[in-house]
Amino acid sequence: MNFKHKFVFLFPGLFVLIGILIFPIIFTIRLSLSGWNSYTPEMNFIGITNYIRLFTDDPRFWESFFRLSFLSVTTVILQYVIGFALAMMVWREIKFKRFFRVIFLVPMMTTPVIMTVIWRTFFHESLGPVNDLLGGLGVKPILWLSDPVIAKFTVIIVEVWQWTPFMFLLLLAGLLSLPKEPFLAAAIDGASPFRKFVYVTFPLMAPISIGAIIIRLIEASKIMDTVFVLTSGGPGTATETSSFYIYIKGLREFQMGYAATLSFTYLVIMIISLTIIAKVLTKLMIKE
Amino acid sequence: MNLIGEKISYRPDEQFHLNDVSFNFKKGNLYTILGRTLSGKTTLLKTIAGLLNPDQGSISFEEKDFIKIPVWERNVAMVYQQFINYPHLNVYENITFPLEQRKLSPEQIKKDVDEALKTVGLVGFENRKIQELSGGQQQRVALARSLAKKAKILLLDEPLVNLDYKLREQLREEFKRIFSEGLSQDTILIYSTTDPQEVMELNGEVIVLDEGKVLQKGPAKEIFENPSNLKVAEISNDPPMNVLKGSKNSKNLNFENISLEIPNHFKNLEDKDYNFGIRASEIKLDENGEEFEIELAEISGSETLLHLKRGNSKIIALIEEVMNFKIHEKVKINFNANKFYAFAEDEKLVSSPYGGTNG
Amino acid sequence: MSKLYTFLKYFFITFWTVFVVAPFLWAVSTSFKDFQSVNSKVTYIPWLDFEPTLEGWRVLIKSPAKGGVDIVEPYFNSIFVTCTASLISIVLGTLAAYALSRFTFKAGFVRNNDITFFFISQRIMPPIVLSIPFFIFLSTIGLLDSLLGLVVVYIVLLMPIAVWIMVDFFNRVPKELDETALIDGCNPYQAFYKVVLPNSIPGLIVAGMFCIIFGWIDFFFAFILTFTEVQLLPVKVVALNSSITPWWSLSASALVSVAPLIIVAFIVERYLSKGNLSGALK
Repeated sequence: MNFKHKFVFLFPGLFVLIGILIFPIIFTIRLSLSGWNSYTPEMNFIGITNYIRLFTDDPRFWESFFRLSFLSVTTVILQYVIGFALAMMVWREIKFKRFFRVIFLVPMMTTPVIMTVIWRTFFHESLGPVNDLLGGLGVKPILWLSDPVIAKFTVIIVEVWQWTPFMFLLLLAGLLSLPKEPFLAAAIDGASPFRKFVYVTFPLMAPISIGAIIIRLIEASKIMDTVFVLTSGGPGTATETSSFYIYIKGLREFQMGYAATLSFTYLVIMIISLTIIAKVLTKLMIKE
Repeated sequence: MNLIGEKISYRPDEQFHLNDVSFNFKKGNLYTILGRTLSGKTTLLKTIAGLLNPDQGSISFEEKDFIKIPVWERNVAMVYQQFINYPHLNVYENITFPLEQRKLSPEQIKKDVDEALKTVGLVGFENRKIQELSGGQQQRVALARSLAKKAKILLLDEPLVNLDYKLREQLREEFKRIFSEGLSQDTILIYSTTDPQEVMELNGEVIVLDEGKVLQKGPAKEIFENPSNLKVAEISNDPPMNVLKGSKNSKNLNFENISLEIPNHFKNLEDKDYNFGIRASEIKLDENGEEFEIELAEISGSETLLHLKRGNSKIIALIEEVMNFKIHEKVKINFNANKFYAFAEDEKLVSSPYGGTNG
Repeated sequence: MSKLYTFLKYFFITFWTVFVVAPFLWAVSTSFKDFQSVNSKVTYIPWLDFEPTLEGWRVLIKSPAKGGVDIVEPYFNSIFVTCTASLISIVLGTLAAYALSRFTFKAGFVRNNDITFFFISQRIMPPIVLSIPFFIFLSTIGLLDSLLGLVVVYIVLLMPIAVWIMVDFFNRVPKELDETALIDGCNPYQAFYKVVLPNSIPGLIVAGMFCIIFGWIDFFFAFILTFTEVQLLPVKVVALNSSITPWWSLSASALVSVAPLIIVAFIVERYLSKGNLSGALK
């Protein structure tokens, strides 16, 4: 079908989106070439000075980027494994199937910052229930939020709680849409559950898995809310992620020009690395 | 006042979906388009409906340039092979939909819909949901919707192919009745199918389509008796006509070390190599016949299809009873030489038992 | 083997259920506490461990002048922004998705898939990257600290989701359905709203739920782009999280703000089995 009417369908959405985005993107690029800060709040032109500073004299940005990579990859792997396991468990008939499905979905419906506020009280080192209960078992209080190493894992726990449901949802939807025939065939061949998973379920789910992992990586790379409330990037810079660092530079220190440089570089790195990850995953998971 | 297509080509990608197709359809007639899957039948029907615009060629109807008229103003009706109805409407609403779209009066709509329901035998089903109906019933609703419109061009795209055998037989009979009684002399009916038997039973004008090209046009009987080339012979027979590479000399027909007496209609043929064609039904089991090896035996209804092999030739024989055979078993068969076709090496028909030649 | 598997399975399900529910239980319990029961030692069960009070809940509806928190206005702000942005995104996104699913677009090297990718790829954009230019953009046009400004920004967040889900949904609605509508005398717009839309309700619901989720849970844009005039719920709740945090009102307001979306979980579960999501991932 090909009618001139097709543009009437496409253009409103397309142009609204482009219209909203075109200014921010052009503006960011232009801003990144300026020295806009709280002393000189103007759009002067300083060439690529900001970029030189970023690539030669800003280890804190790169550290925050690697920290972000570590956090997002770790959480997404955990979410994938747990989400897949949960999805497998409530895929077929099980008692209270719908109840569990809803329960497993609930965390993603909750506002991350608000839940993080609760998590903060939950992991509170003297007044929170976790340390209290562990103390009952004779474990010394754990510094969930103030130890640089443990704080990272606290962030991971909260992220896993929050977003495993999304992975679960995508994977369960995938499982429910799988054709029945391969499973019948495997059942007739008398394959064990383990073999069935390795040779039937997993390969069938590979394309869906890749999609789900990429989507989650995209979302995880934006980790910000949790860190903001839970640790404020601390202790020190122990949980500072790229977004949070850009936030500090731009909206706390008002180095707008430099923050724009960071933003633009960060966006480019994100697009490149996500493309590579998508390619690699496709190679690893789909064998033909 | 006819529906005329001239030199229509449609090539959305590397391959032609329609390649230089021309036709002249007259009102009050039934046309069948015979072709295998992906031969361009659906594309042709969609082009006539206006869902596709050909890259080249023209279509005119009632002396108007049809291509300039958008689908929704063409007043055609189409029944798809998938049972396409509006799932959110019940049976009655499905049939009234196109009529309301044309803003007919409520009385007229009621009259037309009741008539269409009666024709397809769905009286009493008005308030059913589409999802509650069987495949055959769903296809009847689609047909009723097309009939109620009283469209001047009615397109049916393999309407029976997704039904099971018994329903197909039954609905085919009804189609014949509906087409002969229920349609006005104002309507052009175009019916596409892969099934030669359907073509013969509907007995209209046939267009044989393959890879987007028209191979042969003519009455059903003519196509069946005198297929213009090997391709048509294969497409217009189910199972496809058997082809045996061989030769004729002054005394015999020879193929695969078998010699047959020259049948009367071959008497005037030049002595040289030919592709001989013989229908599966013209091969019989015969103790004194030639030995072939069984590759596969299929039982279908009250018939048995034997896939046979000898030398480089593979043929299919249709046995009119249910018999059990073992694979690799040898059987002896006899060819009815009077029903042999001869096709030249360029696959064109040279001689047919019904007297037609193309050469 | 299978017994061990069953045991592990139920163990894991129980463990995860407890993990999911724990913070909620803790919040429910805390919301009924007072200063004493929070700060003396860790308490869990009302009446048994501590004397419950409704103070945490009461302050929610008190005006700030009387020492209350007043989350009523932020609540309605959040509902307004989320619903408006979701609605606009769904309408525009669904139209665009329909076009991308049904018609062929060619412009230079750009094809349908590229346009679809453009829509969906907007999710890659980290909020921080957009927030600075949006901050300046909205202040230039005078929409900083306004509901309308937030709606504009949220459209960027939500339209990609609507397009993603609806393109996939429309791809699985047989195109013969719209073709039949065209043949039956509908122009393309009529075919869309008389035939395609009424048959796309499951897809629209799923897309709508996702827009509502991702609109409702946003904090960052609301935090950066609003100050005093307009406050959204997450910003308000987090603002309570100061050094002398009143845990009880914090918990109560947190529970109130996550509660409406729990219904969404039920709706999503219901439409899940119709497989409305899976194809979109390929």
